[in-house]
Amino acid sequence: MSKQEYINTGDIGTISTMRQEHHAERRGVPAVQVEHLRKAYGHLVAVNDVSFVMQRGEAFGFLGPNGAGKSTIVKILTGLVALTDGVVQVLEHPINHLDTRRRIGYLPELPNFHRWLRAQEFLQFHGRLYGLRGAPLQERCKELLELVGLAGCERQKLGTFSKGMLQRIGLAQALLNQPELLILDEPTSGLDPLGQRDMRNLILRLKTEGISIFLNSHQLGDVELICDRVAIIHHGQLLKIGPPATLFDEPLVLEVRVNAISADLLRRVGAVSLAVQRDEADPLRLLVEVQSDEQAADVAAAVHASGTRLFTLQPRRRTLEQLFLRTIESSQT
Amino acid sequence: MGWLLITRFTIKEAIRRRLFLTMAILTLLMLVLFSLLIHEAIGRMQENNVANGMDPTLQTLYAGIAITILAMWLVYLIISTMTIFLTISMISGEIEAGTFAVIVPKPLRRAEIIFGKWLGYALILGAYTLLLSLAFMGIIYWFTGYWPTQAFAAIGMLEMSMLVLLGLITLGGAFVPTAANGVIAVMLFMGAFISSIVQFAIPGQDYTIQNITAVISLIMPTDAMWHGASFYLFPAAVGLLQGFTVSSVNTPFTATQPISPALLTWGVLYSLVLPLIAIVRFQRRDL
Repeated sequence: MSKQEYINTGDIGTISTMRQEHHAERRGVPAVQVEHLRKAYGHLVAVNDVSFVMQRGEAFGFLGPNGAGKSTIVKILTGLVALTDGVVQVLEHPINHLDTRRRIGYLPELPNFHRWLRAQEFLQFHGRLYGLRGAPLQERCKELLELVGLAGCERQKLGTFSKGMLQRIGLAQALLNQPELLILDEPTSGLDPLGQRDMRNLILRLKTEGISIFLNSHQLGDVELICDRVAIIHHGQLLKIGPPATLFDEPLVLEVRVNAISADLLRRVGAVSLAVQRDEADPLRLLVEVQSDEQAADVAAAVHASGTRLFTLQPRRRTLEQLFLRTIESSQT
Repeated sequence: MGWLLITRFTIKEAIRRRLFLTMAILTLLMLVLFSLLIHEAIGRMQENNVANGMDPTLQTLYAGIAITILAMWLVYLIISTMTIFLTISMISGEIEAGTFAVIVPKPLRRAEIIFGKWLGYALILGAYTLLLSLAFMGIIYWFTGYWPTQAFAAIGMLEMSMLVLLGLITLGGAFVPTAANGVIAVMLFMGAFISSIVQFAIPGQDYTIQNITAVISLIMPTDAMWHGASFYLFPAAVGLLQGFTVSSVNTPFTATQPISPALLTWGVLYSLVLPLIAIVRFQRRDL
């Protein structure tokens, strides 16, 4: 794999200290405000009564299966699709406000760009659409090509780019205007594992610079790692919204491995936990459900009190993917 | 000034596309072959005229008039074909390809995108029409000495014809998919020409046919614009002085009268209002 296949996740060098301070000042102010949003295509209702607020400086994840209405909402936020009903404010203005659009960066799900353009021309054209001109535009294009690992590809036509390279040049065009709000629709799709990691690191870096990030992704790991809050949408309706860690009201499962499992041990551990069950895969292991981390000490004390030797005690954390699937399944039932 | 960026982008795109390059090469080739052909034909005709004791200068001039009509009709067909192939994907094609997804969210109005694209294509095709017309008329003048006295009025009518077709395609692009838009444009263009042939083929004055032809001219005024152009290329008086009848110069390719002001006004409105409707439609269209 050539050098240019990797995104440079080093110093972004694009956001000045002043901008960081500006972003910090705006924290707590909504970046995206959606109230009772409804979108219908004829008789088909794609989005039904969706409301949420995304704060400035926040990384907000949008999750949902195919056809859930995620892309429709992203398209409404970017002005590609008109809403049927409700209110949508982006950076405190309606989306058709041109000055607001100057402060938004958008990477679409499918990087379908004009294939006859060279990478440099592509960025210059989109930079001019944002109002950039002359030397600052040239400098910005150079910076961004380096940032996304495409330095040296300035004169290469987009038609010869791989999907991963198109995704990178797409991200570069979304960053041309030093956006306050970055809307990313499946940014890691089409990238190899290494590319996905680099893209993830880059997004995390942008987040630390104070850019508000709206992330629509199927990569639940990315969402879990990057996002401060996550919304789950299904059949056009918002099911849950909150920080990934607390989004799902799930008891914590502890894996407890001991030298022997006795009736006394089960009784004592059962008294300080929500539920206890034997692990079918390991005869010396118990799966203990507790409400919080603090109860782990009580479980350890109960094991010792029963005279049993404790080998391991560790939380078994459900992945966001498991929780996501459970949420979708429970909504269907 | 987002529309200006889109216009420049459209011109750049049109020039870079292989279709434009192919057409440019074929056009040059055609002009070279046309020059060779006319050189040979006029040379032989003059030899025959001298041998038969006829005045070669006058006969060459008559030949120049006839060749001008046919050559400019060819120009009309080439321009129309070029307009259809070059612009058919200007809106619907971009929507289908998903390329508008990164342009529409930028800080510019949707109206600017459509206007910019329309203007870009109008400038390219306008320049092509002008250059091609002048090239053909220049070659004919070089070999026959005939230059239409109202050449630029004729070119103006050809430009109008191109704008009419461009207006129709712009409108179609905002409403229907690319393939359907292409079918509509070709069918209407051919329909307008066929109606001229039918009108010519039926002897006498059949008011029903005339009315149908008039309606077709309103729906698709390209052929009416060509007839307007042909009048300026081949003044009927020249033919009449030679003892021809009116019907001998009133063919599907030629006209004995200039285009009526009402039809010309209709053509102008058609070429401007249709893109405006396309803009209104595109502003409300989900992408």
